[in-house]
Amino acid sequence: MSVVKRMTPDRQRALNLLKERLDGRLRSHLNSCVRCGLCGESCHYYLTKADPRYLPGYKVDQIAGVFRRYYTLIGRLFPRWVGARDFDEETIEEMVDVIYGACTMCGRCSLHCSIGVDIVYLIRTARSMLAEIDLVPPGLQSTVDAAVETGNNMAIPREELVDTLQWIEEDLQLDLEDENASIPLDRKGARVLYTLNPREPKFFPLSISAAGKIFHVAGEDWNISTHVYDVTNYAYYSGCETTAAELTRRLYDEAVKLEAEVLLLSECGHGFRSIRWEGPQWINRPYPFEVRSVIEQIADYIRSGRIRLDPALNQQPVTLHDPCNLVREGGVFESQRFVLNNSVQNFIEMTPNREDSYCCGGGGGQLSMSRYRERRIEAGKLKADQIRETGAKIVATPCHNCIDQIMELNLVYKLGIQVKTVAELAADALVRTEKS
Amino acid sequence: MSQIEIEGRQFEVDGDGFLEEPELWNEEVARLFATTDGTGELTDKHWSVVNYIREYWEAEGTAPMIRKLCQHSGLHLREIYELFPMGPAKGACRIAGLPKPDGCV
Repeated sequence: MSVVKRMTPDRQRALNLLKERLDGRLRSHLNSCVRCGLCGESCHYYLTKADPRYLPGYKVDQIAGVFRRYYTLIGRLFPRWVGARDFDEETIEEMVDVIYGACTMCGRCSLHCSIGVDIVYLIRTARSMLAEIDLVPPGLQSTVDAAVETGNNMAIPREELVDTLQWIEEDLQLDLEDENASIPLDRKGARVLYTLNPREPKFFPLSISAAGKIFHVAGEDWNISTHVYDVTNYAYYSGCETTAAELTRRLYDEAVKLEAEVLLLSECGHGFRSIRWEGPQWINRPYPFEVRSVIEQIADYIRSGRIRLDPALNQQPVTLHDPCNLVREGGVFESQRFVLNNSVQNFIEMTPNREDSYCCGGGGGQLSMSRYRERRIEAGKLKADQIRETGAKIVATPCHNCIDQIMELNLVYKLGIQVKTVAELAADALVRTEKS
Repeated sequence: MSQIEIEGRQFEVDGDGFLEEPELWNEEVARLFATTDGTGELTDKHWSVVNYIREYWEAEGTAPMIRKLCQHSGLHLREIYELFPMGPAKGACRIAGLPKPDGCV
């Protein structure tokens, strides 16, 4: 009896998914690891705990071994010769543990890989296989489910969002001493459609106020949709690409409906990567609008003189954490630095930074998977040490997920810092001219 | 699931320290949880937030929006962040014995 026939229907589904995706690109990445081990030195899990199971190459081998077993001739005939691995209970358990539980998909290993294996792509493919057989860890899956079922990952009803935005608007008018300051809702034809991370209206609205303040002073023609208002796409992390496509399609349809020229994304790493770079592939069509991060937009306002900032208004030393999915994986390197250099008196870079930055440990859906919390905090020590070394009192980071992880690192490693979005610091430095 | 011990008392919690069985919550639990996340001793202001979150959750099955929290407690947003260094979700909701909210928290 062939191996494939012995397979349970469930497991066969996962193997079929792998088979369907096996194009030249995937095959070559699955076949290419030469086990040099350099990836270990790039991974925050391995660097904080030298467990060989944390080596990115080991994680890659979980899926590559299964690939060899079922989809290469030599692996089918002589599995042991080539380290091929049955897709059995033991393999699956190990896959879940290291593919979901010990990787943030930060991509630093891919950058340092001696032969350029796209490790994140392989991890995502492995997650897709596991998602296919319902093995996504609970907190991550429920976050995806909430987004699918309610339209946003924190299940915020539309009325609650509207009330919250009106409440923020009232505050904005007081703050700006201008009764015309507003948060425009559902305005067809506005140039910019601004999309939030649900955690902003739910728990952390200061970043909405900050963006609203900047848009108002810059005279931007903008609005927020009260129908589709979630910049996140946790299906990118769970590995379920049909769901990732569905969530992207909703945002796409809304931007088209509202005739937006720019779909502007709140500060969110994986949201940027998903919408900006993965989205058109998922929904298989190009966007008729531009996708930008709000920090790119703020940088433009500064360059073109639409807003004026006074760095003296932010006196405390500030450092910057580069969110992996926005920077290394997303290509936004300088906007955040330009904005901070214009917003704060004393900006100190962490080392390494930009494309070589260490992950904070919160990505990959880690923040939503309670069962791996201990590892997440342990792996975050590298970032905590980096922060401490700068001596900064404020850590700015254009990603709400990173903010939450760094807040926790702050508590555990006693860093004595505050964590803010880039827009918050820019808003605090705004100078009002008579015109604005 | 894991266990934590605070002042000699054992609690079943999830990996993030949220109570596994929210119905086992009482004020003593809140007081003890607050000692572990930088919140410290619970003042009247803390209690107005914690009790409101708890009541809201018991009625609605979810944590209240921060707007409601501010309006009902009469506290300013920034005050709430100061009272609960881990924020409204991982701080106040955890102290109020809620399960961990989904999303970027």
